[in-house]
Amino acid sequence: MSVEKMKIMGVIGKNNLLNRVLRLVTLNGSMHMINALVRVNSTDFFLPPSEENIEALEEEPFLRSYSSKRDFTKDEEVIKLLLNIFNIKPQLRMEFLGQDYDYDDFMKQFSNIYAKIRSTADEIEEKARLIDKKREYINNLKYLSRLSIDISRFIDMKYLVFRLIKISRENYDKLKKNYENIPAVVLKVAVEGKHVIVASITPVNLEETLEKIFSSLNYTILAIPREFSGTAAEITEELTKSIDEDQKVIESFKKSLEDYRIKYIKEFKKGYSRLEMEKKIEELKSEIAMGDKLFFMFGFVPVSNVTKLKSELENQFGDKVIILVDDINKSGLGITPPTKLNNIKLFRPFETLVKMYGTPAYHEKDPTAFFGLTYMLLFGAMFGDVGQGLILLFSGLILELGWKRTSLGGILSRIGLSSTLFGFIYGSVFGSEKILSPLIIRPMANINVMLVAAVVFGIALILSSYIYNIINSSLEKNIEEGLFGRNGAVGFVFYLILLYTIFRVFVTHSNILPVLIYIMVGLLLLMLFKQPLSNKLAHTDKLYRESPANYYVEEGFGIIETLLSMLSNTISFLRVGAFALNHVGLYIAFATLAGMMSTSWGNLAVLILGNIVIIALEGLIVFIQALRLEYYELFTKYYRGDGIEYIPVQIKGVSSVGRKISLNHKKVIPLGIGVYNFTTL
Amino acid sequence: MDKLTRYSAVNTKIRVMEKEFLKREDYLNMLKKKSVADAARYLKENISYGKLLGEIHPDTVSRRDLEDILKRNMIKNMDKLIHYFRDDYKDLIRSLYIKYEVEDLKVLARSIFNGKEPETIEKPLSFLGKYSRVDPKRLFKSRTIRELIYSLEGSEFFEFLIPLVDGRRENLFRFEMALDMGYFNIIQSRKLKISGEDREMLKKWEGMIADLYNIQWIYRGKKFYHLSPEELLNYTINFGDKLTFADRKDMCYTKNLEELYRMTINSVYGFLFKKEEISRDIYMERRINRFMHYKLRALTRRLPMSIIQTIGYVWLLEFEIRDIISIIESIRYDLPPEEARKFLVKAA
Repeated sequence: MSVEKMKIMGVIGKNNLLNRVLRLVTLNGSMHMINALVRVNSTDFFLPPSEENIEALEEEPFLRSYSSKRDFTKDEEVIKLLLNIFNIKPQLRMEFLGQDYDYDDFMKQFSNIYAKIRSTADEIEEKARLIDKKREYINNLKYLSRLSIDISRFIDMKYLVFRLIKISRENYDKLKKNYENIPAVVLKVAVEGKHVIVASITPVNLEETLEKIFSSLNYTILAIPREFSGTAAEITEELTKSIDEDQKVIESFKKSLEDYRIKYIKEFKKGYSRLEMEKKIEELKSEIAMGDKLFFMFGFVPVSNVTKLKSELENQFGDKVIILVDDINKSGLGITPPTKLNNIKLFRPFETLVKMYGTPAYHEKDPTAFFGLTYMLLFGAMFGDVGQGLILLFSGLILELGWKRTSLGGILSRIGLSSTLFGFIYGSVFGSEKILSPLIIRPMANINVMLVAAVVFGIALILSSYIYNIINSSLEKNIEEGLFGRNGAVGFVFYLILLYTIFRVFVTHSNILPVLIYIMVGLLLLMLFKQPLSNKLAHTDKLYRESPANYYVEEGFGIIETLLSMLSNTISFLRVGAFALNHVGLYIAFATLAGMMSTSWGNLAVLILGNIVIIALEGLIVFIQALRLEYYELFTKYYRGDGIEYIPVQIKGVSSVGRKISLNHKKVIPLGIGVYNFTTL
Repeated sequence: MDKLTRYSAVNTKIRVMEKEFLKREDYLNMLKKKSVADAARYLKENISYGKLLGEIHPDTVSRRDLEDILKRNMIKNMDKLIHYFRDDYKDLIRSLYIKYEVEDLKVLARSIFNGKEPETIEKPLSFLGKYSRVDPKRLFKSRTIRELIYSLEGSEFFEFLIPLVDGRRENLFRFEMALDMGYFNIIQSRKLKISGEDREMLKKWEGMIADLYNIQWIYRGKKFYHLSPEELLNYTINFGDKLTFADRKDMCYTKNLEELYRMTINSVYGFLFKKEEISRDIYMERRINRFMHYKLRALTRRLPMSIIQTIGYVWLLEFEIRDIISIIESIRYDLPPEEARKFLVKAA
């Protein structure tokens, strides 16, 4: 229920081990990398001057950042082609990555296989193109099928030229209307969609003229095979036969590819996983510092994972790498530790909402638990309804468990739960107050009580946020804000006395005690002088960080703002009561509309529609209003949220060991069929 | 939707935009300028073009930059107008882009043919992709006409161009002709759901344009290219207002130019051949444009609540840009203002 403690881990090793170390770290997935040069140059970095560290100590002053970016386009091409030809689903597998291997050696084995597969694939493609061509011939010959003459006689004519062309209908029209001037016999053979197929015969010496005329008609020539003889039907038959033959050749090629598949499929899959891994670790290298022989890498690791990562490194590399583990407290100011939030399941979804405002700093108290609890209370109080709450609860659960939308679904189910509980308190089911009797209160019947309770609840929240801020400031050892600040101890006492005074005047109708006034003025003065006072206490040389004039102008207005915001923040919580009333009011409006319906079906329909509107519209408004109260009224008091999120280096989408075996079995079956995809060839 | 609701908003917008057109005095003043910089400064300082030329420095601006700015402004205004329409009317206004995109495609093809780099093209090709929705970058990458044709794959122009590749005729002349054929084919064969009155008007207007271009084509084909009558006829636009197919055929099969003049001189389009022969060649295009200009002005006055208002605006804007560029060019080549005026469409 807090921010997880971190340690800084460093790994120093020979340059040739770098890729392997990075791979292991990535698979381990718990290191948040930091720039190694920054770490080495920070004041508290210290390599113990022992024998095994000698080399590292020698290199330390000459480190530089890793600059040469490796180019993977060639490898990517190879792997992409292999995956495509063998129709392998790109999938990262832990088993292929976990092994200790050398990437370059591993890729080398592909170069030979790749060349062979590539040429086979090219040949298949070539054959496929031939088949296409022949199919086109067959299609063109179809237009001549009415002629029972040897086609080759047309083509081999000595004094006449035969052509089969395609032109648009519109252009055919022009041709037809000007037929008397065309130096050829032109025959319409077929009409296909927007086009007309035309056969023409012209004397050889007029061929050129005709070509010009046809060109101006934007024709497309339909090719007829020259190397065959016989009627259209005979040639078609012959072509069909040769297509079959070609297909057989393709089949045999495919078979030979199949052999490769059976033999190497595991390697191909490995190849994909390992290439992806290599690309990932190449990205990480920008954070690495390189010496002539050694590399240095550093990162934050949560305390709970340190031993695991350390032992993994030791197991694989033994004494070939130096592993450094330092506590954070020692670390210099230069590097901010990342924050890893660790909350119980009930509050975990609310981390998203907290991060929307800002990630807590490493030394700050994680507000998620307080946020989650109060957010649920606020939402429930404003939107208390058993029926609608349950709908939110179940839709949240469906999102969370069914669609794996953990943060949205989680928040929805939790506020739904709270809404349901408050529904019992208010005695409201789908807006109707006739079904249940309230456990505690009916909002509409006790308007004043609701509003006052809301403000009291708000005061409680504000007071706890003061306490939160005091704790946070004392963790940071910030006297200025924690003790004298308007949200610190002084502000806290001032707020209490102010509340007491107001209580005396308006509730018990007694006079204002002069003492209280003096104390309050004194407290305000403390706030005004917070910077010089705290600097005095801390024995700092300078009393002011900036010019005193600026400081007092700013703080003077700050005091006024404090007074205003104390009032407005408190009154702001009225909305909690107001929305609880509003919720009932909205239902009453729909209930009245429903009563105006003549049929009972209409009545029901309006009520259902009304409930949908209430859940969608009011649910959203209340969601936002509660968030507003949290962010504006409370977070501004105690939460800074200027931390860095913990993002460990990981490779995404690695399938687990258990699943991959079952997938392997499934893959065995379709081997014989072999689906090929040549689109990217 | 009745025409009042359809046109009142867009027509108001057009009236406002028309205010930005140059006045007659503006043309005359610009003609008197001695240098391109002066003319550019005049545009920048005196009239509505000022805000367009905001970031431009008149002393260094080139004709190309200026033309680019003007064309982009035209695109901006046309896009504005498109927003006022819906359904098929939207398509109709968008199809006004075809003419300009085809023009730009031809310029691009010509420069590819001459082996020029896209950056050195004299004219800004601002309209590329406006109708075809092809990424201009893809077009600019082409190194041959064949590549250019393939880069247009997926656009409506492609089906008219692909026969060139299949027949190995992808030369410049055929490319240009096929594009033109495509242009007129697209605007003629589309089936728009527009009001009967607009359809009639559009048919007449487009038919008139086709007539004019056909006559010009036949005249030039006969005089300069010496094409066979069959080819001439096949390349004519296959519709028209006054001219039928038979008319066109007769014109193509005239023995000589004299016969062609005689045939047209008494028709509506006789003005094209009036005056001495030399001016025919030089000014024919300008006469066509001027004829359309007057026709548009008459039509827009007669049909205030019709699509011609929008079409007319676009054409007039085009003429204005042509005129500005003509003025700049004639200043560059030191043409005296009286001579230069003879090339202008809107003001003379």
